[in-house]
Amino acid sequence: MTSIHDPGHQQIPFTRRQAIGLSAASLLTPLSLCAEQIKRQQRSCILVWLAGAPSQMETWDPKPGTANGGPTKAIKTTLPGVSFAEHWPRLAKSLKHLAVIRSIVGKEAAHARGTYHLHTGRRMGGPEKHPTFGSVVAGELGDQDSDLPNFVSIGKTLSSGFLGVKVAPFIVNRAGQLPANVAGGLASPRVSRRLALLKAQDAELSEAGAAALVEEHRVLYERARRLMTSPKLKSFKLDSEPDARQLAYGKNRFGQGLLVARRLIESGVPFVEVSKGGWDMHNRLFTRIKASAAEVDRGVAALLGDLKQRGLLENTLVIVAGEFGRTPKVNTKTPAPGRDHWARNFGLLMAGAGIKGGTVLGKTSPNGQEVIDRAVSVEDVFQTICRAMKIDANKELYTPGGRPLKIVDGGKPIGEILV
Amino acid sequence: MPRLTVLFACGLFLLASSNAPAQTGKSAASRSAAKKKSAKKKAPRKARKKSARKTPKLPPLKTPADKQKFLAAIRASMPVRRAGSNLRYTSYDLDRSLEYRVGRDRLFAPTIDDERFVRRVYLDLVGRPPSAQEVRQFVADTMKSKRSRLIDRLLTTEAYARKWARYWKNVIFFESTANRNRTNPRALEDWLTEQFKKGVPWDGIVAELVSAMPVRDKKKKKDKNDWSQKTGQNNFVLAYENKAPLLAAQTARLFMGISIQCAECHDHPFDAWKREQFHELAAFFSRGKYFMPNLDSPSKKTAMQPKFLLGEEPPIKLTVHQRRVAIAAYLVYNQDNYWFARSFVNRIWNELIGDGFYAIDSLGPDQECLHPSVVNRIAAVFRYRNFDPRWVFRLLMNSRAYQREIQTIDNDEELFTAVRPMRLNSGQVKASVLRLTGPDRNIGRALDREFRSDPSIPQRDLEGTIQQALFLMNNPTLQSKLNASKLKKRLVTVKQPRAVLTQLYLAVLARKPTDKEFARGLKHLGQVPNRTEAIEDLLWVLVNSTEFLTKR
Repeated sequence: MTSIHDPGHQQIPFTRRQAIGLSAASLLTPLSLCAEQIKRQQRSCILVWLAGAPSQMETWDPKPGTANGGPTKAIKTTLPGVSFAEHWPRLAKSLKHLAVIRSIVGKEAAHARGTYHLHTGRRMGGPEKHPTFGSVVAGELGDQDSDLPNFVSIGKTLSSGFLGVKVAPFIVNRAGQLPANVAGGLASPRVSRRLALLKAQDAELSEAGAAALVEEHRVLYERARRLMTSPKLKSFKLDSEPDARQLAYGKNRFGQGLLVARRLIESGVPFVEVSKGGWDMHNRLFTRIKASAAEVDRGVAALLGDLKQRGLLENTLVIVAGEFGRTPKVNTKTPAPGRDHWARNFGLLMAGAGIKGGTVLGKTSPNGQEVIDRAVSVEDVFQTICRAMKIDANKELYTPGGRPLKIVDGGKPIGEILV
Repeated sequence: MPRLTVLFACGLFLLASSNAPAQTGKSAASRSAAKKKSAKKKAPRKARKKSARKTPKLPPLKTPADKQKFLAAIRASMPVRRAGSNLRYTSYDLDRSLEYRVGRDRLFAPTIDDERFVRRVYLDLVGRPPSAQEVRQFVADTMKSKRSRLIDRLLTTEAYARKWARYWKNVIFFESTANRNRTNPRALEDWLTEQFKKGVPWDGIVAELVSAMPVRDKKKKKDKNDWSQKTGQNNFVLAYENKAPLLAAQTARLFMGISIQCAECHDHPFDAWKREQFHELAAFFSRGKYFMPNLDSPSKKTAMQPKFLLGEEPPIKLTVHQRRVAIAAYLVYNQDNYWFARSFVNRIWNELIGDGFYAIDSLGPDQECLHPSVVNRIAAVFRYRNFDPRWVFRLLMNSRAYQREIQTIDNDEELFTAVRPMRLNSGQVKASVLRLTGPDRNIGRALDREFRSDPSIPQRDLEGTIQQALFLMNNPTLQSKLNASKLKKRLVTVKQPRAVLTQLYLAVLARKPTDKEFARGLKHLGQVPNRTEAIEDLLWVLVNSTEFLTKR
């Protein structure tokens, strides 16, 4: 009705009607061909989300032998002079794939706000609900017509915000199982019988003046049916993965989640998020970290190796991050000490697509309380991610109200860790 | 000096001098006296400020009760209310002017039959489809006025109050990113339900929401998150974290239909809003002095004085509580602010007919509005009718515009020649499903989650999801509950196949089957050897049909 909205709508690649036309056309395209193309051209991303905020000093920036360092020892990585905390032996050996950032200066030290900042690249509290980055990727790189959703999250994540339902995360609660409600439980002839009746039922409403709604409904049901019967649905399951590989990733929820993530990426899903909670270690940090780190160390190292072996790593960006860091000073909580929330310096890992492996960015002071070299912002990190994913960070996305918002607002790509 | 500034000053001084709420009738004399008083103070600005500070008896307006009293006094002295109290404006007038504006030569869709009408009205007013019994009764009723009587009856129900309370709660909370421990959407919904049930006028509701100043209860140290969110009316402010810029943006958006938030950082790109205007509005909500940040150098900032969007300024310096009352008064009791009434009318129109006169919440001064004479007229009379929400529902729902058949509408010229088929919202879908299955928390929650949508997005921009389809097609709990439902068990015992179909369609779609549907259904019942399976199939088909999820 108002011309104001037009610029927004021009940005949407497909109108509903075009999408309908396309979905019909795409049925004719052999799926394997699509997968091949995707493998060659498209970038994808696996976000490993360590919910609760892991301690930088027990991960990628240990300070052994200092007052703040606590009992955590350091181990050597494959890069001379660079060490990780002792809990990460496998990743320490994978450093050739990894870019380590040790100098993020964050602004949020509360879980919800930090999660929002590190998922959207924006600080919470503005008038808009920003999309989580997976939704941005789904919109920018996703095949709007694929059998599988373009953004799968194994575990909870944030919403697609103002980008709406089309690119909303498809949530899988348990890795290795089919997503909810895709198995019908009915014999196929009965389903076909029902669908035929449904078609006739809807035809009448269409004639009665709801043609557009009926058509959209039909497309949704067709896509739902395609998902239900898609050979790619196997990507959600692990039956065909040899036991040795399942063991390599770790026979636990997180490890199996990463394995599913790899399978989904292989099937053309451009963004998969796998989360692992329990990192909010205010107390008993030094004992609790062991089990958590062991799972993630094993899983991520296996993932990197697997992706590399399949030739997927060069087009798949892997990010390992949490919402902020933890206080360099060890607290005095009972029954055993831990570290509290801290956003002034923390780190994350990136590997794969567009990333220069074997690089370490930034330096913190010996007491770990401030960044002394190459401080970067969360926005810088998002610029870097966009560059690695070949997404134009300056592209403007439109809110339903017609407000243009850049994918990333501010910040500069971190050249040192990009290829 | 805009009129309301005078009015607001009047209110202040009235209360200051009498220490009692002004009575409705009292006004003429004392008001003109007050006017003189404030006129005297028109002297140089500094002097005015000084004398204001000297006024010792200004009510502090700290408690909600004081705020309400004060706002009521301002309301009572609004001249425009009395001026229009005799005005008549009926659904007939509405249709005449709207059809004239749309163009009499256009093809208007015919009026819906009783079955469609009763389902539409139930979904709109009480948020659920009518039962088979309710449909039958209504259709059998031979009274000529049965449609308007049904509307009247439903408007007095608790379910009406609850449905619209839920709507506004969703509207207010959809964009909220506040910490969930510091808000209580349920309390807001309960409070709104109470207001709608009592028939509290819209101005009163909004004034109370906007003027709230929730205070943290410091005595309750144990309960760290007590921000008085249990008091329902505090939750608009809490949903936006009691932050001035957010409250300014949301007040303009929700209660004026104006999208001004872009102006927080720069002059509005498509509209006449200036950056200063946004921050002057925000200054009303500030707890201390309000500063507009300088975008180029963060250390510099400009102090802003509160000023409403049409230029109204409080004549004296106000405390934080008084500022909240002032913004409520400028918003609600301001005859120049036609946006306030109009945005309510436009939202309700959108909810009922599927299209508004303008995009629900992106109207600025220069934005296009379709048929402005019609919507402005409704908005004006809404004000004369004491901002009574039920009046708006009666006016719209008794009109031909509301009672037209559905049609897919592709361009603006066709708007209001028919009703747009609308997707049911999560509440309506939930009610429709649970009516068949019986209460079930898991199904209810899943439907809430899967069918959740932004209530401020126009119908034409809403989309369904694959998860919705998957849920209705396959969800094991839903399927087993449907197959074990009372409805299905009853249908299995019905011998007459035609009666099976009639009961099924009435229960699921609130209407009798058409001839084609009879033919198709009978054929299916005849073909499938297992009768139970055949009935399950038909039930599944109707629950998965577009119509089940659509207001037609």
